[in-house]
Amino acid sequence: MNKFVFFGGKGGVGKTTVSSAYGLRCAAEGMRTLLVSTDPAHSTSDVFDQQFDDDPAAVGGYENLWAMELDPDEEVKRHMQSIKSSMTDQVSPAIVNEIDRQIELAHRTPGAYEAALFDRFIDVMRDSEAYDRVIFDTSPTGGTLRLLALPEFLESWIERLAAKREESVDLFEKAAVGDKSARRKLEQDPILERLAERKADFEFAGETLREAAMFYLVLNPDELSIEESHRAVADLTDAGLTVGGLIVNKVAPAPDDGESGTGATYLRERHRTEQQRLERIRGEFTQPVAGVIEQRVSEVKGDLLAEVADDLVIDTEATAPTI
Amino acid sequence: MTVSDRIRAYLDGLDAWLHGLYHGMIEHPSFEKIEKEAEDTADVFMFACFADAFGIPSPVSYYTAELLPHLTEEFVAWERRMWDRESLVERKGQQYHF
Repeated sequence: MNKFVFFGGKGGVGKTTVSSAYGLRCAAEGMRTLLVSTDPAHSTSDVFDQQFDDDPAAVGGYENLWAMELDPDEEVKRHMQSIKSSMTDQVSPAIVNEIDRQIELAHRTPGAYEAALFDRFIDVMRDSEAYDRVIFDTSPTGGTLRLLALPEFLESWIERLAAKREESVDLFEKAAVGDKSARRKLEQDPILERLAERKADFEFAGETLREAAMFYLVLNPDELSIEESHRAVADLTDAGLTVGGLIVNKVAPAPDDGESGTGATYLRERHRTEQQRLERIRGEFTQPVAGVIEQRVSEVKGDLLAEVADDLVIDTEATAPTI
Repeated sequence: MTVSDRIRAYLDGLDAWLHGLYHGMIEHPSFEKIEKEAEDTADVFMFACFADAFGIPSPVSYYTAELLPHLTEEFVAWERRMWDRESLVERKGQQYHF
């Protein structure tokens, strides 16, 4: 049983709908469930018609269900502020100005956003004792995959940094020939200490993702999202993560046999092509199809959710990922 | 001045000379060499941490920025050195004191 469940996939395939529905189902089965949106364009708030923020909040109208939306921008600001304030505690103001530029620069690089999001991921996973299940509604494929590949990459990078630092401090110690005292000492080197803390964070994240997390890809029965899912499966598997299955969303329903108007003909044709693609998906992927969800007439959100939710819960119950 | 005083003065002088010779020929150059090597290694470390200070995007600068409060003086000196350094020969040649 995996505590952390991730839903990923191309933009617009319905990850939020599927993860919300799955969250409802878990909650209905009595599991304390936390739904975490990591997509910068949050839509969990729209689905439940309730404004969520960076802290878990109970979802109104449902038992056992909590939701939160991660805000990396807030996290970047907080991170920068904490560095700056520890600077002013320790360093003379003249130097602070020179360093400030570097700090701002480091927080404005594109990687900063991902790093902040990643930090929040770690926080959420660390503080999750209160929940039986944590569901991550992730951002579209590219971003998420890069994010999830981070731990291993960062771990080895930090390791190399620490090794370099150790080498130089060791040399400084050796340079203390005769009665000279060393400029830097290996024990109580704050830099090495900080790097080791970071490394532990990354190790924790990597381990948790590999051992306690399950990934589901949401896709639509169209060429583009099938292709993208192939790449995503390959990338996730390469990173040592487990892909539990695929959920095909927005499948066109078949019209009744008696119908023969233009609309019905179009729908019948469409239904036929999509069923073929569905067969293709079942054939091409080694992962099972863990759910097939029919297209809804109206958007699954807002007030409609209340009406559709029951339907959806049954819908996903019949076809939901079996974990 | 007694003979023993003169001998002691002579030995003291000799000791000072020998120590100076040892310091000049062995101790100082080796200390200088190792310390320079240490500085160079430290520079490589700084560069790996803060490559973005020179316009090279670094994926970890978000995390290494956390080290800055402990590295301030080193960082400022390093940045100045990196911008000012004329050539590798100039730095490596310093030990010969021409």
